[in-house]
Amino acid sequence: MSFLGFGKAAPSSAEKIAAVENELKVVAEMHSRMVKICTAKCLDTTYREGELSKGEGVCLDRCAAKFFEAHQKISDQLQKETQARGGGFMS
Amino acid sequence: MDAGLTPAESRELDQRLQKRQVKEFMNVFGNLVDNCFSACVDDFTSKALSGRENGCIARCVVKSMSTQTRLGERFGELNAAMTAEMQRR
Repeated sequence: MSFLGFGKAAPSSAEKIAAVENELKVVAEMHSRMVKICTAKCLDTTYREGELSKGEGVCLDRCAAKFFEAHQKISDQLQKETQARGGGFMS
Repeated sequence: MDAGLTPAESRELDQRLQKRQVKEFMNVFGNLVDNCFSACVDDFTSKALSGRENGCIARCVVKSMSTQTRLGERFGELNAAMTAEMQRR
């Protein structure tokens, strides 16, 4: 944190480690959510077969791609909307 | 991502990540149980799993693990692409 206008102090050990760990946590959570949602949307829930059918496999691929695209679009739009509303959305 | 970590910091990070991996595995396991139980078990006239339910659960586990693998691959590709795109912006 910056005092006396020197500019940002170097991040401490704890801060650096926490930053890396946090980034991985965010990514892991996204992965977990994607698996849950795409499983529900693409798999035959009667589990009559133990193997992924070709259709299910393709559905999973497309679900993952769309999930990422939606993530990005929502992120961009949320930023825009937040700024338009004076940035007070998350106070 | 780990620019400028000392060896001691690296070790600390590795320890944290290992803990996180264990937690993540338990999370996957938990979701697997919830998912396969919900999908396969609906007959409570007995307190033992029926043959049908057992078969369903076994197939559910295999299928879920194949799904994890496939989505893991897609996720890696898509995440890398998204990161590259964000850096480009």
